[in-house]
Amino acid sequence: MSYSETFKDHLAHPRNGGELAGADAVAEETNPVCGDRLRLSLRISDGRIEAARFLAYGCPPTLACGSAMAEMVENMTIAEAANLTKDRIVEAVGGLPSRKQHAAALAFETLQKAISNIRSAEKLS
Amino acid sequence: MRRIYLDHSATTPLDGRVLDAMLPFLTEKFGNASSVHSFGQEARAAVDKARRQVASLIGARANEIVFTSGGTESNNLAIRGICEANRSHGRHIITSAIEHPSVRGAIEHLEKQGWEVTRLSAYENGIVQAHDVRNSIRPETVLISVMLANNEIGTLQPISEIASIVREEKKRGRHLWFHTDAVQAVGRVPVDVETLGCDLLSMSAHKIYGPKGTGALYLRRGTRLFPQQVGGHQERERRAGTESVANIVGFGIAAGFARIEMNARNERTARLRDRFETAVKARIPDVVFNGDSERRLPHLSNISFRFIEGEGLLIHLDMHGVAVSTGSACSSGTLEPSPVIRALGRDEELARGAIRFSFGKDNVDADVDYAVEALSRAVESLRALSPLAPQAIEEPVSSP
Repeated sequence: MSYSETFKDHLAHPRNGGELAGADAVAEETNPVCGDRLRLSLRISDGRIEAARFLAYGCPPTLACGSAMAEMVENMTIAEAANLTKDRIVEAVGGLPSRKQHAAALAFETLQKAISNIRSAEKLS
Repeated sequence: MRRIYLDHSATTPLDGRVLDAMLPFLTEKFGNASSVHSFGQEARAAVDKARRQVASLIGARANEIVFTSGGTESNNLAIRGICEANRSHGRHIITSAIEHPSVRGAIEHLEKQGWEVTRLSAYENGIVQAHDVRNSIRPETVLISVMLANNEIGTLQPISEIASIVREEKKRGRHLWFHTDAVQAVGRVPVDVETLGCDLLSMSAHKIYGPKGTGALYLRRGTRLFPQQVGGHQERERRAGTESVANIVGFGIAAGFARIEMNARNERTARLRDRFETAVKARIPDVVFNGDSERRLPHLSNISFRFIEGEGLLIHLDMHGVAVSTGSACSSGTLEPSPVIRALGRDEELARGAIRFSFGKDNVDADVDYAVEALSRAVESLRALSPLAPQAIEEPVSSP
């Protein structure tokens, strides 16, 4: 597949790669069919995502979607992040062919999982 | 940006001398080799000369060479042609677990029609063992197909030993034929059909600095097969279709240079490959080398990089001008780790992280050094992002 400039930029210069200490939420999801894996850690402050970091293993679309998603959610409120759609992630990497949409789905699911972890933690506290 | 091509097992650039030889047959010498008039005769003479040149490369007779459209067609012709011609004698095929997709596909096609198939292990070093062939032969076996050199890891298979086993069986009156896919081996290791002892052998022009779209099948005299492309008398009734004269001429010239320059080319590519592997071992941790390090093609290196996936590495390298390939592919969301690397017993992560580097006659030391540098950086970047690799945890910055 030919990659857009935006896509290649996310690969060459991934945003927010890494892990956070003292993260308020961590989620790791795998695509069981292809084995791609995404890990997201978030630090929350006053209902806002203060910092987001991602780690990714898998094909280039998975890496790019991880980067785009982690970049977008930083400084969003939790509600805004919960409303981030798969399509917006695809747009943020400059588009994806249909057979690579699973990468955006993985990023979306990992984010949803992290948010649900935050909300469960809030209920407990 | 520098562009460095290290994917010579995928294809090779057309040698300038080959192009020069082909041009007249793309311009003023355009005759159909089957035509009776002088235009046809000119084309016919050129095809005959190329046939002798290709035959010389493998120690065969000219009339044992059938020109095809390439390695895939040669493999199809050999496998389906022999099986169809021999189905009254039995319906069992023996092959290896590490064949090229065109061999795998042709055999699977027959399997769907009711043929039984034994796929032999290549063990951890990527080499099939001849005694496994002997132990798998049944009264109903008609074809054995084992490649000469593997395309992903370069390992060399025991073709002469297998051929002796087949010869023993033939002496007992068995209808048993032995095919080897030599597409990767021809021009890179000495190939002599008398020494090897196979009945059929596949070759491809674009692996030896010739044009794409042409190959050949060596067919030992006395070997009968059912043609797969019919409706013409060309290639002595074995493969119908107007000959691709310019391509065939190119193949002949490429074969000639491959034979004459083989030692020089191998010395060079082996040296570059060894330089590359030494540098990788020194600079990049957590790597696994795939395939026997001695019994393999001189120009090829297959390495798995832990914690990262192959396509990502490929794209990183491509962004820095370095061209290589991986046997793995993520497509349609389905996992396709390299079946060959998996067949060695490697786990899925290592299979997905395998990259093939294949050097050519025009590569230089500086290419290797640049590639190692780019590779080292790419591996570092991807490992920094990988949840499978040990990571440094970012400490929270204390707020003012």
